[in-house]
Amino acid sequence: MANRRGGGQGQPPSVSPSPGSSGSLSTDRTCTHNICMVSDFFYPNMGGVESHIYQLSQCLIERGHKVITVTHAYGNRKGVRYLTNGLKVYYLPLRVMYNQSTATTLFHSLPLLRYIFVRERITIIHSHSSFSAMAHDALFHAKTMGLQTVFTDHSLFGFADVSSVLTNKLLTVSLCDTNHIICVSYTSKENTVLRAALNPEIVSVIPNAVDPTDFTPEPFRRHDSVITVVVVSRLVYRKGTDLLSGIIPELCQKYQELNFLIGGEGPKRIILEEVRERYQLHDRVQLLGALEHKDVRNVLVQGHIFLNTSLTEAFCMAIVEAASCGLQVVSTKVGGIPEVLPENLIILCEPSVKSLCEGLEKAIFQVKSGTLPAPENIHNVVKTFYTWRNVAERTEKVYERVSKESVLPMHKRLDRLISHCGPVTGYIFALLAVLSYLFLIFLQWMTPDSVIDVAIDATGPRRAWTHQWPRDKKRDENDKVSKSR
Amino acid sequence: MCAQHVADTSEVKWQKVLYERQPFPDNYVDQRFLEELRKNIYARKYQYWAVVFESSVVIQQLCSVCVFVVIWWYMDEGLLAPQWLFGTGLASSLVGYVLFDLIDGGDGRKKSGRTRWADLKSTLVFITFTYGFSPVLKTLTESVSTDTIYAMSVFMLLGHLIFFDYGANAAIVSSTLSLNMAIFASVCLASRLPRSLHAFIMVTFAIQIFALWPMLQKKLKAYTPRSYVGVTLLFAFSAFGGLLSISGVGAILFALLLFSISCLCPYYLIHLQLFKENIHGPWDEAEIKEDLSRFLS
Repeated sequence: MANRRGGGQGQPPSVSPSPGSSGSLSTDRTCTHNICMVSDFFYPNMGGVESHIYQLSQCLIERGHKVITVTHAYGNRKGVRYLTNGLKVYYLPLRVMYNQSTATTLFHSLPLLRYIFVRERITIIHSHSSFSAMAHDALFHAKTMGLQTVFTDHSLFGFADVSSVLTNKLLTVSLCDTNHIICVSYTSKENTVLRAALNPEIVSVIPNAVDPTDFTPEPFRRHDSVITVVVVSRLVYRKGTDLLSGIIPELCQKYQELNFLIGGEGPKRIILEEVRERYQLHDRVQLLGALEHKDVRNVLVQGHIFLNTSLTEAFCMAIVEAASCGLQVVSTKVGGIPEVLPENLIILCEPSVKSLCEGLEKAIFQVKSGTLPAPENIHNVVKTFYTWRNVAERTEKVYERVSKESVLPMHKRLDRLISHCGPVTGYIFALLAVLSYLFLIFLQWMTPDSVIDVAIDATGPRRAWTHQWPRDKKRDENDKVSKSR
Repeated sequence: MCAQHVADTSEVKWQKVLYERQPFPDNYVDQRFLEELRKNIYARKYQYWAVVFESSVVIQQLCSVCVFVVIWWYMDEGLLAPQWLFGTGLASSLVGYVLFDLIDGGDGRKKSGRTRWADLKSTLVFITFTYGFSPVLKTLTESVSTDTIYAMSVFMLLGHLIFFDYGANAAIVSSTLSLNMAIFASVCLASRLPRSLHAFIMVTFAIQIFALWPMLQKKLKAYTPRSYVGVTLLFAFSAFGGLLSISGVGAILFALLLFSISCLCPYYLIHLQLFKENIHGPWDEAEIKEDLSRFLS
């Protein structure tokens, strides 16, 4: 279901490796890994982390690795599912606490996760998103079980308020003995290094990617008698919807030929509706509501200028997608955004109505005078920047490096926790680590590893999932096969 | 990007951009790492005497509580006639009322649009009701033991001090709750006085010292800081003197408390500023500084 939604026709959104390519790619590598992606956020939930995990997994499968994904149950979607190319997804029956994140006790998920790690012969645990409790749980258990760990951080955090002080402390604990950390931008790396007090050498920067074939320009779709500004984001405070509500009346009064096309839903939608009501802009400001991922491109290509008003952003896929569709991007200069696009493709502004209006006016002037490069040219430049295959290649290097490292034995792990996380927190978590180790020994006594069945590999070097199957006939099975064992 | 290209690093300069494939490993740490980190950019420099001056708000409130308890003790012992307290209270209230308007030249009154007639009405209503209900106040807590009343009063007065609006912008501040707790304490204590007239005058006095006096103080502090310092000193000494007449040890402890709050705590605060490490950088969430409501009004 999820990837149907993403790709439209039951195909994965971007990567559909041809049967031939995988063979040639996997020859030049020495070893393959059994990787387990863990996060609370996965399809059918939609978002940046979800598509990141999916696309990265697909590319790693293409490169001959064995990849499985573990997440929590979404509604009646529980148990084991197979997605395209045999990506096996475990939807675990854990209770969701808040914002699709599970509750954590550090112990209750150990039996289930241990079963999966043993069954699948996992060697590397790759957790995603610092908001996901399950990701941190999995890191904790993996270290107890002596498995290699990698963590990808997708978000930025402040340091000022109480909640961030607490989450940063937990992150310190969770990452102090993790083998390697991946961040999506250099700003995000600086942030994570500071938050978790890490050695920057074990933090790699691997950006997100977008699929350029999904975001192609189509200049004929836009009306050249007007200038259309497109905004696609969730309408929430952090995405700067308040700024947008100031920009719209300011510029609509100045430029009669200016239209706004706004895609997305959220609690701040009401203020945009108020602005539209008050300034009588119903014919010029269109609110499209929530967009499905496949519709984003069709909205983007209708515009000349893309406006991003985020107040904080680690990477910002939206501006890359827009630039890939050939739009001139105007964005706030926050977080990792200045790193994402070269100066000639983006107009950076301070996060204020005045500065953003100036940036937009500059872009409008360029559109009017025709000095903008053709959408096709912009697309051709942008499509070389970020690809999932490149991300997978670089992530593979991280796995390679991690697999050569040794996991800290128990006594060293306790030392690290106590010396690294402060006197109080350190001792508490050292105690918890000991308890979880005892719990693990108990579980191993109850059901020894040798008793646990080994799962059939759907992907990886000895994959059971073959490409010879006629795809269109077996599409349903390709999409989701509920397999018990 | 690849480890084997590290040799090139001397010629090629690392850039903080993601769109270019650079000849550095992904975990490369440049010299420019964290160069945009800023520390304590919003930290305030404190002046010792300014902090001491600000601490007077706390001193005033402590003294108010102390004076209130001392007066209650005198009434309870029968050393202070209620009529005399009522007279003094009324006179000082009138002086305060006149001062309240004189200090800012009547600006505050014009702004709030409140007439003197309205003030007089609410005063009369309050006095009538308190007088009418004072027999009820007197017998209200008869079934409760005196120890409980004392304990409750202590907690309520402490609560009053904790939740009082000293001018800090914190979630714990609630002037309504603070005033209610003080009045509750006064009702508790008043119910232990010999007659209902005593109870009536005690509650009236509580309103004067916990509700009206801080309002006057605030204005004094804003418009005539010098006289405010004088008033605070005078008030502190009278509270100390009152307490001294009851208990020497208590008075000394009280004086020590006032001294440490007004002199030692400011010193400690300034000393602690040296350890402040507030970090800022490009990852901070941007703040919207403009007033955006103008677009909707």
